Amino acid sequence: MLRRLKFVGALGVMLLLALMVCAEQRFPPPDFENGYRLPSASTPAARQLWLQYADAGVLLAALGISVWLIYKKRSRRGLFWLSLFSLAYFGFYRKGCICPIGSPQNIVYGLFNPDYVVPATVLVFCFAPLVVALFAGRAFCAGVCPQGALQDLVLIKPVAVPLWLEQALSVIPYLFLGAGLIYAGTGTGFVICRYDPFVPFFRLSGGVFILTAGAAFLMAGMFVGRPYCRFLCPYGGLLRLASLVSKWRVRVTPDFCTQCRLCEQSCPFGAMREPAPSGTNPKWLWAERKRLGWLLALLPVLVAAGMWAGSKLSPAAAQLHPAVALAERYTRQQSHPVQYGLMTPESLSLQRAAEDPKAVLTAAADLRHRFDLACWLFGGWIGLVIGLKLVALSVRPGRTDFEPDRGACLACARCFAACPNERVRLGLMPAAGDPAPS
Amino acid sequence: MNTSPLYRALLRTAWIAGAFCVLVGGIMVYEHFEAATNDPWKSPQLLALREKLAADPKNEPLQKEIRQLDLKFRRNFRHRLALDNTGAWLLLGGTLALVLAAAKAAALKKTLPLPQPKPDAGEQSIKLASRARWSLAGVGLAVAGCLLIIGLGNTSVLPGSRDAWQKLLSPPSAQEAPIAEAPVLAEFQANWPRFRGWDGSGTAAWDLKTMPGVLWRSVIPAPGHSSPIVWGDRVFISGGTTNRREVFCYNASSGALLWQRAIENVPGSPLKIPETPEDTGCAAPTMAADGRRVYAIFANGDLGALNFDGSVVWTKYLGPVKNPYGYAASLAVWGDNLLIQLDQGETRPEGSKLISLQGGSGRVLWERSRPVPASWATPIIIDAAGKTQIITLADPWVIAYTLADGNELWRAQLLENEVVPSPVFAGGFVLLVSPGAKLMALRPDGTGDVTKTGVAWATEENVPDIASPVGIGELVFTVTSGGVATCFGANDGKKIWETNLDTEVQASPGILGDRLFILGEHGALVTLQAGRELHEMGRTQLPDKFDASPAFANGHVFLRGVTNLYCLGAADAKLAKQP
Repeated sequence: MLRRLKFVGALGVMLLLALMVCAEQRFPPPDFENGYRLPSASTPAARQLWLQYADAGVLLAALGISVWLIYKKRSRRGLFWLSLFSLAYFGFYRKGCICPIGSPQNIVYGLFNPDYVVPATVLVFCFAPLVVALFAGRAFCAGVCPQGALQDLVLIKPVAVPLWLEQALSVIPYLFLGAGLIYAGTGTGFVICRYDPFVPFFRLSGGVFILTAGAAFLMAGMFVGRPYCRFLCPYGGLLRLASLVSKWRVRVTPDFCTQCRLCEQSCPFGAMREPAPSGTNPKWLWAERKRLGWLLALLPVLVAAGMWAGSKLSPAAAQLHPAVALAERYTRQQSHPVQYGLMTPESLSLQRAAEDPKAVLTAAADLRHRFDLACWLFGGWIGLVIGLKLVALSVRPGRTDFEPDRGACLACARCFAACPNERVRLGLMPAAGDPAPS
Repeated sequence: MNTSPLYRALLRTAWIAGAFCVLVGGIMVYEHFEAATNDPWKSPQLLALREKLAADPKNEPLQKEIRQLDLKFRRNFRHRLALDNTGAWLLLGGTLALVLAAAKAAALKKTLPLPQPKPDAGEQSIKLASRARWSLAGVGLAVAGCLLIIGLGNTSVLPGSRDAWQKLLSPPSAQEAPIAEAPVLAEFQANWPRFRGWDGSGTAAWDLKTMPGVLWRSVIPAPGHSSPIVWGDRVFISGGTTNRREVFCYNASSGALLWQRAIENVPGSPLKIPETPEDTGCAAPTMAADGRRVYAIFANGDLGALNFDGSVVWTKYLGPVKNPYGYAASLAVWGDNLLIQLDQGETRPEGSKLISLQGGSGRVLWERSRPVPASWATPIIIDAAGKTQIITLADPWVIAYTLADGNELWRAQLLENEVVPSPVFAGGFVLLVSPGAKLMALRPDGTGDVTKTGVAWATEENVPDIASPVGIGELVFTVTSGGVATCFGANDGKKIWETNLDTEVQASPGILGDRLFILGEHGALVTLQAGRELHEMGRTQLPDKFDASPAFANGHVFLRGVTNLYCLGAADAKLAKQP
């Protein structure tokens, strides 16, 4: 049944792809000579406040149900249905906005732009999943995230990503998060939303690049479990950090681990960790301590190197801001005047902007200074993330049972059914010593 | 290995479906990029036909051909959409088959795990961590490399340091100013570079001594109400219709048409422009010149700068211009500044602005929005109260701006109705006309709102409605459209004399030496003594209709009639050879 539903989901995705292909085409309006005027485009009204509160309510309820299904019911099926609901509601009905993934940008934009007041619903969407993660891990990823649900539907034959590669790629979400926040803080745009590969599917509209990226993620998702969530999602990075210190954590077994290793293969997301001996071979102990010391010493060096590299990035990064781009075009036009033959939309925009050049340059100068600071911090952030990850990989965790990695576990509940003790609890098999069913 | 017939059949199905999907997807991608690169809107064939139509708008076979081509493109577009739609459904079907077959095959092949003990788990864990660290270092290096490549490969032309920014944002010092590029005041005074002369006063210091006669006349190829301007041995006028807008350059000595240049392909300007009322037309604003270039603006908002040889320096589209009777305010120049008073809106301001451009490049030096609806008066630039001021008129505000940065100096709420007469600066006062209501003298030395404090005098007698006043010494002269000429005292506004010229007048009067030139709409050229005594010095009749104001330069008077450009001089009152 579950598999069939997956196929139905995959079919739905492909149907959306087909619809979007049609939406890509545009044709210029004809020159009407009979006085007909094309209706002017209008901006839709903002969503009513009570509906925004309703969205926040639905999110909170879904998070609560997700936690209940993970910890109380331990039900994969329940989570599957919840994720289908979330896909329909937060994905196709709400068209992927607002969603927690992009909400940190609103917060940062509000911090650096006093004219913008962050709506209460945005605060709820940003912080509620994080607060839940502090107590119950990634319940949001398990059944509430529409992007995750979409990828889950197309997962057919999961292939294990080597753990060493998984660990190395797991820093990318933090880099994306840093980039998203500097662009939001400088008012350039919400790049996390703009480059979300699944939102165009929800909206039945999008550019070729992002549609292709989305299709690529879905195709990869047939073999690699939730590739976007694991290797790109910036909000997933935040949830991962919160989950590391969560009060409760997902456990494979409801009782005790028999170390049968049956659960090892059940996780499609590479989050299952095997027991690690607590004792260390004395011949490696000194080398490990020395390495840790070196890496701790390297941490500030990496941060400083990152800041230096980030400072070099500032002029290029700032060019994505429309005001800086306009100043750039203006300055180029001054040094090399060009009479445009056929106008590009950008050239036309520059021509029609007819703004006071000094105002444009002043705005660009202010933005460049902000970008200088932001890129400097961004570079430092990259160094810090990589340095801390290196340190984390040099600390050996002590584990006695098979258990999911606290940060990497998406709480999907797939591993529960692989545990013999869970099957005994559910009455699907007899406990040891029980008479075998006749 | 599972070798059941069902498994093999599913596997083959998956492969075939996969190949089918790749084929269909590839064709769709190819079609997409093909369509993107062959935009029918940019079809050379269609563009060429449209160009032809612009030159010959009533050519019905051409219109039909364009319609048929347009229809063909639209049919092609629809056909491609249908193909895309079909392709999408085929892709969907192929993907469905692929997913179903692959998933079923994977399920058939799935084997239960048989986990084995791992006695070397600890060692493997250490190796794994080591490999993860190295791969992480690789990721870090790759990221740093990308950042450096992006950063160092940056081609930004904007300054990189705060000092460089500071320098860019600071106004250039006197030493840095391009002196060679800036025309000097004497050059402007020796010519007639804009509407009513270099300062917009309508006066010239030299005199003809005798009543002038026609030296030459030359046919004007396109209609227009703009007045002639003169620089050196060249006379410039603009003309045009909704289809084509042009600048004409004549030899001032012979009247020969040296060149004519269309202002076309202006970036952003629509091919088809709105109709303008016939009384105003497309070429009512008078051109301007600075000795290096000439500038022309038209009713649709097309603005162009031309070299004296007729080559285009730059063009700019400032439209669409929202003016109920058609845009008619003339251009003004001062040094390297080109000023455009672009007032818009029927009864309330709709994007009215005053724009200062750098003549050489056309770049906007500054721009100020104005709280007024459409007006038709031309701004003047004066040196008063230690500042170079731009005086602008529109209902209801007289506003003065600084030339340097466009900051407002003062304003007065004195005007009403449709403001057509332009201001003049004479006797230390700005003389301005509220059409049909008042002639006023305003002191240009105030700040803020000077409505109650700035008016030196005002009179309601014989107030003109179209023609601008003209002043000399302590006298001010006006002429109404009904032909009543009046002389006022410039210090108190008291009427000194009045006379009915028995002719309708649209053109603004001018003073040449001590002669007041008044050009009647139907060709009567009346010269009066520009003094306290009323004395008609001469009257002659020209065979044309006149709306444009006279230009005085090089010892000649240049007049634009509806059909001909006239040059009048004192040599012999006879018609010169026809060019």
